[in-house]
Amino acid sequence: MSTSLPSVRREAVTVLGGRLTVEVQIAGTGAPLVYLHQAGGFGWDPLLRHLTERYTVYVPEFPGTSPDDPHAIRRVADWSDLVLAYQEVIGQLGLQRPVLVGASFGGMLAADLAAHFPELPGRVVLLAPLGLWLDDAPVVNWNAVAPDKLPALLFHNLSSDLVKAVLQLPTDPEQMRARMVARIWAYGCSGKFVWPFPEHGLRRRLHRITAPVLLIWGRQDRIVDVQYAKEFTAVVGDCTTAVLEECGHLIQLDQPQLTMATLDNFLA
Amino acid sequence: MRITLFEQAPYRYLPADFEERFDSVCDTPYALVDPHRMYESMRSFLDELMVGARSGFDALLVTEHGQSAYDVMPNPDIVAGALAYATELEGLNVGIMPLGRTLGKTHEPVRVAEEYAQLDVVSGGRLIAGFPVGLGYDVTINNGVPPIEARGRYEENLDLVLRAWSDPAPFPWNGRYSRYPQVNIWPRPLQSRPPLWVTGIGNPRTMQMTLDRDFGFNYFGFSGAKLTGKRIFPRFWELVERSGLPANPYRVGFLQTIAVADTDAAADRRYAEHAEYAFRKGLGSIPSHLLGIPGGIDIQGLRAVFADPGDVGMSRQMRGASYRELVAAGAVIAGSPETVAEQLFAFCREHRIGNLHAMLGFGSLPTELVRDNIQLFAEAVAPRLRQLWSDTDYAHHWWPERLGGRPSATTAAPATQSDNRNERTVA
Repeated sequence: MSTSLPSVRREAVTVLGGRLTVEVQIAGTGAPLVYLHQAGGFGWDPLLRHLTERYTVYVPEFPGTSPDDPHAIRRVADWSDLVLAYQEVIGQLGLQRPVLVGASFGGMLAADLAAHFPELPGRVVLLAPLGLWLDDAPVVNWNAVAPDKLPALLFHNLSSDLVKAVLQLPTDPEQMRARMVARIWAYGCSGKFVWPFPEHGLRRRLHRITAPVLLIWGRQDRIVDVQYAKEFTAVVGDCTTAVLEECGHLIQLDQPQLTMATLDNFLA
Repeated sequence: MRITLFEQAPYRYLPADFEERFDSVCDTPYALVDPHRMYESMRSFLDELMVGARSGFDALLVTEHGQSAYDVMPNPDIVAGALAYATELEGLNVGIMPLGRTLGKTHEPVRVAEEYAQLDVVSGGRLIAGFPVGLGYDVTINNGVPPIEARGRYEENLDLVLRAWSDPAPFPWNGRYSRYPQVNIWPRPLQSRPPLWVTGIGNPRTMQMTLDRDFGFNYFGFSGAKLTGKRIFPRFWELVERSGLPANPYRVGFLQTIAVADTDAAADRRYAEHAEYAFRKGLGSIPSHLLGIPGGIDIQGLRAVFADPGDVGMSRQMRGASYRELVAAGAVIAGSPETVAEQLFAFCREHRIGNLHAMLGFGSLPTELVRDNIQLFAEAVAPRLRQLWSDTDYAHHWWPERLGGRPSATTAAPATQSDNRNERTVA
């Protein structure tokens, strides 16, 4: 596992006819890989660091989560606007058929990008993606959960060093407040597309995905039940599914080694 | 000073250990309710407001809370409609003040414009129209509105309501949140424009909006006005001064839970358990994460709240609060008429409050005691407070003409749709 923080550069990409500028973090060398992060924001976790060893990893920051422009989210009108914005970001970066990886909320976005624009990705990796809705197994809306109950919903391996480190807040009061504000605001920005449901018609478009898809789900996912995996595999033509044991919703933090191995195998 | 009667509509028979087992909103099991006792709670609530109307209160106030056990009031306009007609029948010249329909949550803004217009007609021009943004849980969980859109939806809906009231010609409304091919409501309000009030919790942006648009500003002292009043009101008056406006006390309303008995000791004996019921099983049992759903508070507001959480007063302790703690924080003002009048007079004078909204029924307080509280307050407390501001030249511009108000000629016209369109890119 790569442990050091990669050298990261930033690029600002203006899309939607000049209405929105998306900040993109870029690290690593190799073929292009676009990573769409989860609802609470982005960090260079072990999986992402690992990917920088073989790929140039592009991480568009979700509108509103870039520190210099917290109100960017207000310039995204609706889900369609958001999907088009990300397609334009990838186009303007000049990436040819990148690997498209999305986790949770980012997985919903990645799946819909691949459905709207089947030629855009070379391959697609979805880590416990949102985007569908089953009345029998409602997706748990993490934004409506008491903060002290959230870790047990997001993670299975609460005692792992990595999960503990992710959950650890800074001890300095000012830094702690800044971290909490950033996290709440990130949830608020992505929340624009998770109420009333994190579902925007993806089911009607899933059949359009033509790129090979790797779908990874945690057996103990308590946000989006593992039975959702079947909904994807039933419709997506070229879909490899891996269900990880002892694994909750934020897969690459709960089972980093297994996630890396599964991705490496698929991308080899 | 204007003195109004406010009540929420609580179900009075929740189990003793309610606050340990349930939240008071969203997922409270309705199986806790005996339907006959719900009828009795609702009926006595309406009866008590009518007692207030007959006792000389200047207006009757109700709030809107969906899927809530502490204020069973999914649409205040239904209750307000009943009160409007009943008071017309009895010839009672009292304001009808829903505080009111929540524009951040509604998916039917034209319906809100219609309901208020009809209330104004039925009441013969006695509507005082409140427009709150709405509480997080009600906007988002009960109505599916993303928190980050609540304020944009509120602003657009408010513009639509005001235009629906005033535009003489039918118009199409091509909004971001709602689209109507034609808006031409019947009836229109009887008043040329009913006075408008907005409830705030301390956000200077909301305060400034009331000044810019010439609305009244309401503050609710639930979280302990002895803790929060000295923060909220000076903030408001500083904005008034900075805006170059006169410091007219009538532009401020203040809501306070009040419990009056013949003596201080009698008030404590009579009200303690019911006040504890009200705060513990009501507001105290709304989990804070359901009020502060991410996105509802802008990032600048988050920074302000995290740096200085003083505006929340004793809210976080409310679920287990004792009567003594409630009184100490000022969440409840209780005592003999002298004690209560003295405290309220001093508070309202210090903070330039021109409208006192007296909450005299609360929690499990039996209806006989609510009536006693209302009548004793009306007879022995209100007369001592009314004189406040009577020695000034300020006119009440945020009150219906029929009730002695002098609606201002400068009351803001609704923004036109084209004015507003630039903001439409803002959610």
